[in-house]
Amino acid sequence: MTAADWITAVLLPTGALFALVGTVGLVRFPTLLGRMHAAAKPDTVGLFLLLAGAACQLPDLRSAAPLVLVALFQAATVAVLAQTLGRVAYSRGEIDERHLVADELADAVERARKDAD
Amino acid sequence: MTESPGTSASAVPAARVWWRRLAARLPTVAWLTAMWVVLWGDPSPGTVVAGAAVAALCYSAARLPHIPVRLGFRPLHALRLAARVAYDMLVSSLRVAFHGVWRPRRTNGAIVAVPMRTDSDFLLAILSALLSMVTGTLVIELNRNQRVVYVHGLPVNDAGAVRGLRAQVRRTEELLVRAFGTAEDLEIFERLAGLPEEAEAAAAAAAGRAAGEHTRREGE
Repeated sequence: MTAADWITAVLLPTGALFALVGTVGLVRFPTLLGRMHAAAKPDTVGLFLLLAGAACQLPDLRSAAPLVLVALFQAATVAVLAQTLGRVAYSRGEIDERHLVADELADAVERARKDAD
Repeated sequence: MTESPGTSASAVPAARVWWRRLAARLPTVAWLTAMWVVLWGDPSPGTVVAGAAVAALCYSAARLPHIPVRLGFRPLHALRLAARVAYDMLVSSLRVAFHGVWRPRRTNGAIVAVPMRTDSDFLLAILSALLSMVTGTLVIELNRNQRVVYVHGLPVNDAGAVRGLRAQVRRTEELLVRAFGTAEDLEIFERLAGLPEEAEAAAAAAAGRAAGEHTRREGE
């Protein structure tokens, strides 16, 4: 086995593990936002590791370039997705206060409402 | 955003405006062309020309508005920012993964107000994207006028973790401003960072109170 093979042998299972654990978190976290954290982000790290592992097996840089694009678009879209979902979840009140230590947005909204009155 | 003097359309001749409009759009076309070439996997002249043509066509057909990008670039700080974000992603992924497996029902989050010290639309947009990409932080709301972002963090179980989350966000902000801010952004940042932070202290106190009440409620 060459060095590249060793790197792949480490990165691919690690990436798969991240994806698995993210999915376990998706099932087990009690709140919508918690699930979102678990589902979106460890999966992104997992995907990055998988892509890096796959890139080590490719013959040259030219065929690895599209993998960089995959990583880039994953990073860009996951941020938008997370933000949209979080925003909608909050404004619809899909927030479980029992699992929130502090909610300074609610405090700010209350202050603004008092000022308006 | 402030309009810098001398760039308003009426002040320059029509020919120069046309030229400027084209030049300002070139980076986007170059980026679209680069993606086209990468996707074809073939940097031959034919592909590049075809890519540029398709990019120009898409750009004019979509009538994308042109936004003047005012960003600086300091390579060393950009590297530090990249390292910071990569580290945050990895470590917080591990933390969230751990809490997902071990007692997820005891894991709490918090929505924390973080006062920002930058007034640039671009930097705030990049910052919220970066924060939402990193595991364990998620931008819920952005108050543009008061320059406050509301970040949901996980896992956050006590007032100390709330402070830690706020510090983490502000550290990312500082690195971002130093990496991509213009000289003007940096100046605003330095001035606001130097202020005695009353607003921040008040917010921290409120967070501490809220966290205290929360633990008391749980204890009963």
